[in-house]
Amino acid sequence: MISANTILLLALALAAPAPKSTPSTATKAVTGSQAARFKLKPGAAGQVCLECHGDFDQIMKRGFVHTPVKSRDCAGCHNPHASNHAKLLSAEPAQVCHTCHAGVVPANARSTHAPVKEKGCLTCHDAHASANKFVLQKPEKELCASCHKGILEGAAAAKYKHKPLETTGCGACHDPHGSAASDSLLKVAVPALCVNCHKTNTPIFAKQHMNYPVGKSDCTSCHDPHGSSKKGMLLDKVHAPVARMMCTQCHEQPGTPNALAVKQGAPGLCRGCHAQKLNAILEKNRVHQPVLEGKSCLNCHGPHASKRAGLLRGTTISVCGNCHADTIRRNEKAGSKHKPVADGDCSGCHDPHSASGALLLASPDRVQGCGKCHEWTTHSSHPLGAKFVDPRNKNLKMECLSCHRAHGTEFAKLMPYAKQTDMCVKCHESYRR
Amino acid sequence: MNRIPLALAALAALLLAPAVRADPLTLRSRGAIYQDDATGALRDPEGVACAEGALWVADTGNARLVKFGLQSGLPVSATVVKHAELQQPTALGVDGKGTVWVLDRKARKIGRVNPDGAFAGWLEVKGVETPAAIVPLAFKVDAAGGVVLLDGPSRKVLVLNPTGLVVRTLPLPPGDFVDVAGEAGGTIYAVDATGSVVWSAEKAATAFKPLTKGMKDVLVFPSSITDTGKGVLVLADKHGHGIVLVGVDGTFQGRQLDMGWNEGVVYYPTQTCLGAGSDLYVADRGNNRVQVFATQR
Repeated sequence: MISANTILLLALALAAPAPKSTPSTATKAVTGSQAARFKLKPGAAGQVCLECHGDFDQIMKRGFVHTPVKSRDCAGCHNPHASNHAKLLSAEPAQVCHTCHAGVVPANARSTHAPVKEKGCLTCHDAHASANKFVLQKPEKELCASCHKGILEGAAAAKYKHKPLETTGCGACHDPHGSAASDSLLKVAVPALCVNCHKTNTPIFAKQHMNYPVGKSDCTSCHDPHGSSKKGMLLDKVHAPVARMMCTQCHEQPGTPNALAVKQGAPGLCRGCHAQKLNAILEKNRVHQPVLEGKSCLNCHGPHASKRAGLLRGTTISVCGNCHADTIRRNEKAGSKHKPVADGDCSGCHDPHSASGALLLASPDRVQGCGKCHEWTTHSSHPLGAKFVDPRNKNLKMECLSCHRAHGTEFAKLMPYAKQTDMCVKCHESYRR
Repeated sequence: MNRIPLALAALAALLLAPAVRADPLTLRSRGAIYQDDATGALRDPEGVACAEGALWVADTGNARLVKFGLQSGLPVSATVVKHAELQQPTALGVDGKGTVWVLDRKARKIGRVNPDGAFAGWLEVKGVETPAAIVPLAFKVDAAGGVVLLDGPSRKVLVLNPTGLVVRTLPLPPGDFVDVAGEAGGTIYAVDATGSVVWSAEKAATAFKPLTKGMKDVLVFPSSITDTGKGVLVLADKHGHGIVLVGVDGTFQGRQLDMGWNEGVVYYPTQTCLGAGSDLYVADRGNNRVQVFATQR
């Protein structure tokens, strides 16, 4: 016999609202019943799309087929009737992918791969099938080289290669989507990532590092993890004391309690060898603030090794961009760009250490400075130079910067106005219309 | 009962409230200062300080100071002050006695010049282990001669009493700090140029906290901060070529001026000061002049 209580419980259970499912489970449930959803005829599920999209026979022969394609669940991503999105997708592309792949970027990511953030999954993946693992558009290294050509070409040319990159590829150390652990998409932060393979408690490791306790130091301040032509996979440019293994020139003796501590901070320590350079810098009227501030020389230069001349901590544009991102961004967005900025050659015009005039311009005469690249005297008849007063301001002389902006503008010829005449009539007011 | 009149009063206050709310401060050009009385044109002037009846200008490119006598806020006379010690005068300040405090970029020290123009020596910082290691990047002086100093190497703000003794030290947060200001109540302000953030530390605070949010959209690369003493902080936006106003509560109160070479616009402005008549003086470095603006609400 069924008791009244049982009937009551059953009735309550049936009447209760169905538990809310997460979007992914809901979607899976729906895609799983494609036939029911679109009231397909018996046997049509998984077949009806291919009647028109016959090329999928070939696509599905590729080595790696996206799961919904493999299961012929086209409606898992597309709406077969109508959509507000390209390719009849059921939502925005990223949203469609996230239905199943929501966790690829950690919620608290310290670094996220630019294509994931800016361009979308299809920058790297094929939505249907590919000859490459993870449905990648190209083989991994080739794909990564589409943007990171310099790194991979350097790695290929390197005399001393890093084995994980050679054998496993970029994914050995990097997560291609995002990382909660580290910058640069590293799966684990340095040095923990490195010591997974390189044991720091071995005699050979100690000998190679002059018995300094570097196990917890940043390996990449000396070594190039992508390979190098320097022995020990050191970065291309090595600070002379490091190259000569004369660590004690700057650091305390190994074996002492604070062995890694430097004997003196910068710039005092740097002055020991670079006194002449430092004196020349400080002799000029205007010293770039980073030289005088905090870590001084080390604000821009690495103390051990670097990929760049002058032991710069990065490319010129990235080092300068740490503080002057606005200037660099302006040139990037500009309709007319100034080539030295676009090329990252800030020091083409500026002295990064000090100068006698404003804006740290390397040439005291601004017109002559521009003249290094622009032979203005051969193509300009406009009065220019110390003899000509700017009609707008009696304390200014006519110079290139009277009309042009050196870091790009949205208008032609680096001018700050949309029409050239708008610029000209600022001085030649009688021609204003 | 008194309830109805009270309610009416509350209603009236509510209706009147928008009318008494302070309007944004606006700047109206009153002219510009181009040279001293003779033929000496200003060159790359980076500093201004407002004194009683006078405006001091750091004429940086000419390695000199110029004292302009003012009438109704505009210059009527000029006195050139030149000292061998001051080769690169930049930021200026004036204390209650009329002494001019000068940050000299070449000497990397803060000097003092008496109201009559005589050089009165360098500021000696006391109460720190190595005073010689201090490299002041910016400073402000108060009426009593107390100094707030931004020290580059240590990345700290030092507060000095009028004898030069360090009485308070505040470490700077990450960022690229270019100027400081102190107000009478003991609050210290510091400006991060790359983050476009004003930080503050109240009298008893041991660390700075952000006063404003990042203002990159309206403030590109500030070079100085001036406390008007009227609840408004004036930021000279050097790379953005303008003046940005922020309330002492951190609220953005507007952006004034634009880039240009004519009077009324600026080109790499560096320091500002508010005169007794509420005129704002702007060291318009890139235009080799000082501009005078009437402040209006």
